Amino acid sequence: MKNINKITFLLGVATLGLLSSCKKDFPIITGATTDQTFSNPRAVTAVVTGLQRTYSRSVLLSMCDANSLVTNETFLVNVGNLSEAQLTAGGASVDNSNGLLGNFWATANKVIYDANNAINAASGNKFAAPPALGGNGYASGVLAYATVYKALALGTLSQFWEKVPDTVGVGIGTATGATFSARNIGFTKAIAAIDNALAAIAANPISSVFDDDLPVGLKRTVTTETPGVNLVNILYALKARYSLFIGDYNGALAAMGNVNLAKALAFNYEAANPNPVFQSFTSTNNVIQPLDSTLGLPPSIAPSLIDARVGQYTTISASPRFRFNGFWNGSTKTIPIYTPDEMRLIRAECLLRQAVPDPVTAQSILDGILKQAPAADVFGIAANIPAGYVGLSDVNSLLTEVYRNRCIELYFSGLKLEDMRRFNRPVAEMKRKFFPYPLAERNNNTNTPPDPAF
Amino acid sequence: MKNYILKKRSMSKLLFLFLLTNLFALASMAQVKISGKVTDAKGNGINGVSVTIKGSAIGTATNANGNYELLTVLKPGTKTIVFSAIGSKTVEQVVTINSATSYDVNAQLSSDPLGLDEIVVTGTTSGTTKKQLGSYVSTLKADQLTKGASANALMALQGKTLGAQITQNNGDPAGSISVRLRGISSLSSSEPLYVIDGVVVNNSTTRVTNTQNNYDGQNFIGSVGQNRLVDINPNDIERIEVLNGAAAAAIYGSRANAGVVQIFTKRGKSGAPVVSFSSSVMFSSLRKKLDVNQSPTKFGGPVEGPTAQTQDVLTPTLTTTTPVTRYDYQDYIFRKAMGTDNSVNVVGGTDKTKYFMSGSYYYNQGIIKNTDFQRFSFRTNVDQVLNKYLSASIGLNYINSSANEKPDGNTFYSPMNSVTILGNFHNIQQRDAFGNIQAVGERGRVNPVSVIEDLKQKNTTNRLIASVGLKLKPIAHLSIDYTMGIDNYAQKGTTFMPPFAYNVTTGSFGGGAALTPSLNGYVSSANTNFFGINHDVNATYNINITKDLNSVTQVGFSQQYENQTYLMAQGQGILVGSTQTVSSAATPLPSAEGRGEVSISGTFIQQNFKYKNFAFLTGAIRRDGSSLFSGTQRNQTYAKVSGSFVLSSMNFWKNSKISKWADLVKIRAAYGESGNLTALGATDRFNLYTSSSFVGSTSYSSSSQAANPNVGPERQKEFEFGTDLGFLNNRVTLTLNVYNKKVSQLNIARSVAPTTGFSTLLDNVGNLENKGYEIMLTGMPVVTKDLSWTITGLYNHNENKVTNLPQPIILYGTNSGAPVALIEGQPVGVFWGTFFQTANGGSFSKQSNGLPNHSGLILSPAGIPRTAYGTQTTSNLNSVLYPTVVDFVSGGADGIPATGTALVRKIIGNPNPKYTTSLINEFNYKKFALRIQLDATKGNSVFNADFRTRQGVGNGKLAELVQTGQLPRGYISAYSPTATVPTGIYAIEQWRVDDGSNVRLRELSFSYKFGKIGNLISDLSLNVTGRNLIVWTKYIGYDPEVNAAGQSTLLRGIDFGSVPIPKTFSIGVQAKF
Repeated sequence: MKNINKITFLLGVATLGLLSSCKKDFPIITGATTDQTFSNPRAVTAVVTGLQRTYSRSVLLSMCDANSLVTNETFLVNVGNLSEAQLTAGGASVDNSNGLLGNFWATANKVIYDANNAINAASGNKFAAPPALGGNGYASGVLAYATVYKALALGTLSQFWEKVPDTVGVGIGTATGATFSARNIGFTKAIAAIDNALAAIAANPISSVFDDDLPVGLKRTVTTETPGVNLVNILYALKARYSLFIGDYNGALAAMGNVNLAKALAFNYEAANPNPVFQSFTSTNNVIQPLDSTLGLPPSIAPSLIDARVGQYTTISASPRFRFNGFWNGSTKTIPIYTPDEMRLIRAECLLRQAVPDPVTAQSILDGILKQAPAADVFGIAANIPAGYVGLSDVNSLLTEVYRNRCIELYFSGLKLEDMRRFNRPVAEMKRKFFPYPLAERNNNTNTPPDPAF
Repeated sequence: MKNYILKKRSMSKLLFLFLLTNLFALASMAQVKISGKVTDAKGNGINGVSVTIKGSAIGTATNANGNYELLTVLKPGTKTIVFSAIGSKTVEQVVTINSATSYDVNAQLSSDPLGLDEIVVTGTTSGTTKKQLGSYVSTLKADQLTKGASANALMALQGKTLGAQITQNNGDPAGSISVRLRGISSLSSSEPLYVIDGVVVNNSTTRVTNTQNNYDGQNFIGSVGQNRLVDINPNDIERIEVLNGAAAAAIYGSRANAGVVQIFTKRGKSGAPVVSFSSSVMFSSLRKKLDVNQSPTKFGGPVEGPTAQTQDVLTPTLTTTTPVTRYDYQDYIFRKAMGTDNSVNVVGGTDKTKYFMSGSYYYNQGIIKNTDFQRFSFRTNVDQVLNKYLSASIGLNYINSSANEKPDGNTFYSPMNSVTILGNFHNIQQRDAFGNIQAVGERGRVNPVSVIEDLKQKNTTNRLIASVGLKLKPIAHLSIDYTMGIDNYAQKGTTFMPPFAYNVTTGSFGGGAALTPSLNGYVSSANTNFFGINHDVNATYNINITKDLNSVTQVGFSQQYENQTYLMAQGQGILVGSTQTVSSAATPLPSAEGRGEVSISGTFIQQNFKYKNFAFLTGAIRRDGSSLFSGTQRNQTYAKVSGSFVLSSMNFWKNSKISKWADLVKIRAAYGESGNLTALGATDRFNLYTSSSFVGSTSYSSSSQAANPNVGPERQKEFEFGTDLGFLNNRVTLTLNVYNKKVSQLNIARSVAPTTGFSTLLDNVGNLENKGYEIMLTGMPVVTKDLSWTITGLYNHNENKVTNLPQPIILYGTNSGAPVALIEGQPVGVFWGTFFQTANGGSFSKQSNGLPNHSGLILSPAGIPRTAYGTQTTSNLNSVLYPTVVDFVSGGADGIPATGTALVRKIIGNPNPKYTTSLINEFNYKKFALRIQLDATKGNSVFNADFRTRQGVGNGKLAELVQTGQLPRGYISAYSPTATVPTGIYAIEQWRVDDGSNVRLRELSFSYKFGKIGNLISDLSLNVTGRNLIVWTKYIGYDPEVNAAGQSTLLRGIDFGSVPIPKTFSIGVQAKF
């Protein structure tokens, strides 16, 4: 029996050992909690860099894809791509279950959600950047950086949906979610966010430590520049863009005047995070390609046969004949956030649309854009037409020329549908005016507005 | 042979020494020999009958002639010898031990076709008989498992297990297998818990190959790749017990919510060592080849080279035609495959020490060229009686398995898809002057020849499964047992895509048209390490309260801990094909790492009462906790109660006239509760930001899925009622089970409005239920001395339904394009998509070639069927199910959808079968045996993505009809840059849904027993087996038993690039020495 007692004892000890080893709380080692993230200034910067990644690789791709199909910039190579096939057919064929639009909506809202989190962290007392990082100058940098993506995402939604959410990040798990306002309010909010960021920078100039934390393409190229200079340029450029969209021509002119036109600011890519248009469209040749040398414009305003921009944006091949070139023909090619020529065209348009139009200056701007040689353009996109503008000099003719040049100069940048509506282009030229709200929103938020008929 | 004898002698010596020491230790006892013969009703000796002395750990088993011999030391007195064997009623014989040293005890066992007296191990030390159980347990013996030419233990269960739907997801030699017991029990994973000799074994799928980051894009592909039960050698298995219901979970814990598959490996027997050897050779081939396009022309321009216009049917702008030569690429990618399966085992021991040792080598080629799977397996099981009170056992199983794979079907560069997405006019084997493989068209796709010759994936696993068991009988009536199990494996995968010498899109890791060296080619290396340990301690107190009333009380504790790590490194840009390490890649791609720990523990108490031999009642309460849930939700309590009543064991019955033709009548009922403690990943309940590198900076991203940090485990309640009946001397037996399984608080990542900042929310939402019945009917029309014929029929009917959802529909976008949905009131995973517009009262049907039948459809003025337009509100369940269809307004050749209408969707298919059924016929004539198993599945839909693709890209037979002008040019597809209405049937999802009903000759096995040959071979048999030889089906793909999404619960019945299940012949020989 002695042995038995010993064994029973050992078993008992083993059992006790087991009972005490039932640990069930394991440390998290694969990610940072929300509290950890938003109390660490550099982690907040990383969150915004994550937004750049989402915006520049996902939102931008969806936007350019969807916009180009409904505005005839591109055509669909393989109709097996269901979402694109719907957009190609347009009208009622585009429905709530369109996966491309669903992804577009979800990623843009995600960017707004985390941009708000970063802005809140950088604005309040929660965010105490240590002096080594530049104190409040680090916080204003985070604020500016996050505002770029908030403005871009909010502006993008407002370009394609009639109504946009008032607040992102409410109503999870409930039937009633965000409320919606007209898209003009969306642009206005984007502008207000930009003004808020500019004011914060004015109060606390962005620290050099913050600038160093920015990804390549946004950080200073030389240390003699003011820290955060590129963010400030982008903020003004976006303010000019959205002010134009809501008809605030003075605001647009003022903002555009603050943009340094010598800068070429663009989203950068790398082999591990390649240029999304190249990866998805150019390289596969299985989704969309440029329609043809008209870039989708009707014959009356099609690009001139000598317009060098057509050849800069497309390349000639066997099948299909026209393929993507320019910003989309390489896995690490950069894609502009805005171009100096967009700013010039905004100026020309504002001058033509303002209360007292100035067609003379507007025509000289257009002339400059048309005559520009590739070497003179920071992105190498230039018409190189020696004759410059040759049409009539009345406001309406010049506005048409502005539209035509926006369509060519800003080809495949996602702005064309907005331009078509602003310039009252015939409905026959577009396949949708606005997009329907995705199924995920409609099914989970009773505040989702009705879908537009077209 | 000399060595063999020598060995035997030295073993006898050891035995002698061992016995001697025992003699000294237990001097008051005497050594006795108990021997005898166990026979069946016809007087033939039965092999492998377990012979034990009741109340002790002493036992042995009979040899091939039915003889046994027990050498042991026993105190004088009355002992009960228990004779038990699977398929027979247990018999007890009493022997009185006195001064004699040898005793002769014989027994005759009668058949017990329903196995009610079989011992099943449901967590108790001594096991219990099925008779006592209120819930259904099926048992499969070794010879039922190894007859079917299946190298996988789960495959061997197909069609033999009542209540189980077992699907081989593809025909890869190590392809995954899905097991569903009584339908879908959870939306996360519905695979049962696997236990081998008390070790909880891991059956997960980890993607160490197919690691490419663009592999599944943004989409949902399910779970693909090997599942780890592929490591188990079926030849080691003694029997498998399958517990279908939640009633089992009270004992096995809440991990058993989807049922339990308990595997018992062979164990030692006392007596001279018996060496068994089996060897077989297998031949596999494609069962059915598809017809391909034979049109002499295609649309559009160049035929060969990088500018060749492929996918011509899909490009409506092409109107010119060009003559082409047609090829059948199936001849290139498939082959006649071969394999071998060799195993040897030794069984032996003394009455105190018994051992089983085995070694096996399995090798099988895939029917896709350059794919194979091999497995080395070694196992040792040792049982040792330490003394009267204590016995111990140990089991060790080492496995090395490895597979040469090709990319999974879900990519464009898998063997199947590389052929499916190609017009069949390219001469794929043409090479340039340098011997380089050529481009196939302008899309930058991978030439199938590159896939077969150059793409390499290797998947290797080293695994050790170990168990230690102790059985203690400290005092009368009490037994305590302890089992510790460890499952530890390291799985390593390498993936290699060479630099292509032609334009392959950078999306498929080519270098593009410029053959950019920093992008061309891909390499990855990934490892996963899994360590799982489980401890189970049970104490059982068994006492007769009165002469008629017996009580068994059991308390138990179990603890499980799992730790898994994953590390993957990858890069692209390879110059020379011999630089296949990640460090050789020009461009490093983001690496991935995962680490997770899970801890689960549970305690239970169970009380069982047995009244006489006919009434049984069991109740249990269990409390379980899992680290996957937060503190407030962690510990949950579950109850169980079950009872059975054997009417035929009551005296009145035995004396009545009915008993003359009705031998057995048992009714049983069980109720069990369970949870699902492993439905989440280790950190799923936390909302985390994950870090990665982006353009030289750190980026943090939050998931698109939010989690309720206090999400709780799913809860399951199952009620089961059943009966077992035996008639006409048990020549006809019937088992019937009826069940209702309800699962509430499902852990679903429900869809949420994206304006919340998230796309899904992981929470407790939704309920589902499975209602069904299972019938097994066995008849023995002929039983004579020489000839016997047994017919067994199995029928499973399960109705699965999502009974509650927070929203009418949750739609999942999938890689294959299958529109998979969860809809309230509908089965899990239905296909919800666009459909053909039908005339009033008409319905959609397909011809045998896949063309829609036009009668019943509304056609466009151009004569082409069209997709339904109308109005639908997806927030309204009725509208989700029954959209309003509105006719087109006439106009042009296509018609125009009426104002205010849009594409509408409805349920177009259901992957859940209405029923599955099997019919097994077994004939034995003298030494011949023939077994025929037919399996049928009825009423399940398959989303045949590949069929449609073949027509669009131009290699299918309907493409031929378009190219030869027998169908209008725009019939399949006519989206054009200027089109304003979609025409053509390509986008209509209903067109891709096929009826997957099928009947298949699952197993055909013929064997001949030579018996004893000379003095060397004590038993020799030969068998010839076929598997999946014939399938009768209307399905227009290769095989409707398929799932591109592997073991996924949500995505089922998807045919997308999967290798079809081959037909297999096997010739084998088994010998015993």
